[in-house]
Amino acid sequence: MLLEAQNVAKAFGDFHAVAGADLSVDEGDIIGLIGPNGAGKSTFFNCLAGDTTPTGGRISFAGQDVTTASPEAHARLGVGRTFQVPATFEDMTVLDNVMVGAFLRHPHRRDAREHARGIVELTGLNSVAHSRARSLGTPGRKRLEIARVLATNPRLMLLDESLAGLTPTELQEAIKLVRRIHEMGVTIVIVEHIMEVIMTLTRRVLVFNQGHVIASGKPEDVVKDETVITAYLGHGSRRHRSET
Amino acid sequence: MKKPSVVRPKILLLAACLLIYPLVFSDAFYRDIGVTFLLAAISASAWNIVGGYAGQVSVGHSMFYGIGAYAPLLFYQLWGWPPMFGIPIGIVCSLLLAIVIGAPTLRLTGHYFSMATIAVAELIRIFTGTWDLVGAAIGLQGPAVARGWWDLTFRGELPYYYIFLGVLAVLLYVTYAIERRRFGYYLGAIKAGERAARSLGVPVRKTKIEALMLSATFTSIAGSLYSIKTGFIDPESGFGILISVQMVIIAALGGAGTLFGPLVGALILIPLQTATNTWFGGSGSGLTYILYGGIIVLIARFEPGGLFELWERIAPARWKSGHAA
Repeated sequence: MLLEAQNVAKAFGDFHAVAGADLSVDEGDIIGLIGPNGAGKSTFFNCLAGDTTPTGGRISFAGQDVTTASPEAHARLGVGRTFQVPATFEDMTVLDNVMVGAFLRHPHRRDAREHARGIVELTGLNSVAHSRARSLGTPGRKRLEIARVLATNPRLMLLDESLAGLTPTELQEAIKLVRRIHEMGVTIVIVEHIMEVIMTLTRRVLVFNQGHVIASGKPEDVVKDETVITAYLGHGSRRHRSET
Repeated sequence: MKKPSVVRPKILLLAACLLIYPLVFSDAFYRDIGVTFLLAAISASAWNIVGGYAGQVSVGHSMFYGIGAYAPLLFYQLWGWPPMFGIPIGIVCSLLLAIVIGAPTLRLTGHYFSMATIAVAELIRIFTGTWDLVGAAIGLQGPAVARGWWDLTFRGELPYYYIFLGVLAVLLYVTYAIERRRFGYYLGAIKAGERAARSLGVPVRKTKIEALMLSATFTSIAGSLYSIKTGFIDPESGFGILISVQMVIIAALGGAGTLFGPLVGALILIPLQTATNTWFGGSGSGLTYILYGGIIVLIARFEPGGLFELWERIAPARWKSGHAA
């Protein structure tokens, strides 16, 4: 087991954003988290990445208890994450952004640069490598975030709506990229609203609603689940499936 | 991060100009401006490490400057030590203060951090003004007549000019080296977004403390150079808030977070300050505040990145620093 979250809870005062969520991720998995806005997915994600300390439960990564570990410690252990709103370093070039991630495993500039160049090429950012991050549009920034995390040589990547807001063509490119990263041996947990991404990429899906996991299983089974349809997908999705 | 082939001739030209300046302008007035410029450039460059590169805008850096300024004259007055012996003691005290103050205040961000640093510097200034050991409100004096070269008490400005220039060169080299190392990249990442930096494994608190310590070291040296040169220090000239504000404004004017930004800022502000003092004399003592206020408004409104960023935008491509391919 690479990542195990048991009964994780996060409360802000009386509001329970996450109320006892479980997740187990094996090495090589690719798992999707879906649910309506405000369901607690991002808070749960923040708990997994060390950004937020849970108020209950336990999280372990590669056999180590990381429930209260800092984001830095998570990164060192091999947990990388992207942000829902891209948090690129705006005044740095794309290559320098990626180098910040690369420095985690390559303390010397020359090695970090070499490693970062490889990642920039892999993620298709070569043509903008020396442009400032602020000059990129949303797809470029999202790609850069993925590149930056990839440069830390993660064992587990947590992608928080990294494919949202892309055009159909960009989306297909991004799906290819995520698949390629997965093939490199990186385990992936992805929060996404786009069902096409979930259905295409993931092997298992967890559905969040009001801080709870209301369903989990194979994507094709989950989308037929009556609870999931009522809470998230809506009955229109069933009609849409039967039509297609 | 810059192409050595493009930058080196500019650096050599700058170094040559700085080296020959006091020889070309041999009048005491112009040499004094040169010395003041160098001191301002050292202070602002030292502030730039934590304020510019790491984005932690301290407005209380006079705490380190003041400690550095008091140390040489205090030990001279107490035991007759050559003032330069106080320089390392000032550095050690500033480093300790940076750790003690930095640990709690660097948890704060943005304006809160700035306000906390102002509060600490002001507390130290007020305390120093009532502490008899350090001369209270009257302050301390250095040797009136040099007992030897080791007192660093010279009649003319020339020796000070070259000592200050040497310190500035070392500081710029250190900053240049930082820019090219992991530490420099981490500072930039922290400035751009601590949360994202943390997620990439950047040890944010440790890096910020280290930046503050390095900045405090050179600010302390700047203070020591000032008091050794003037042979006098009091709470206002050591710990006064204008000293901190001047560092911030000079760096911001030229370009905070750039290697030569503080030099550009000092090159504009110091002659301007000298001119207003010369034109208006004692009656224009409040003009410094107006000048600083006006510059803050102009930078914030029109060019938050400073003149260096403006240059990057408008200068012909072949003149710009560029980035390594």
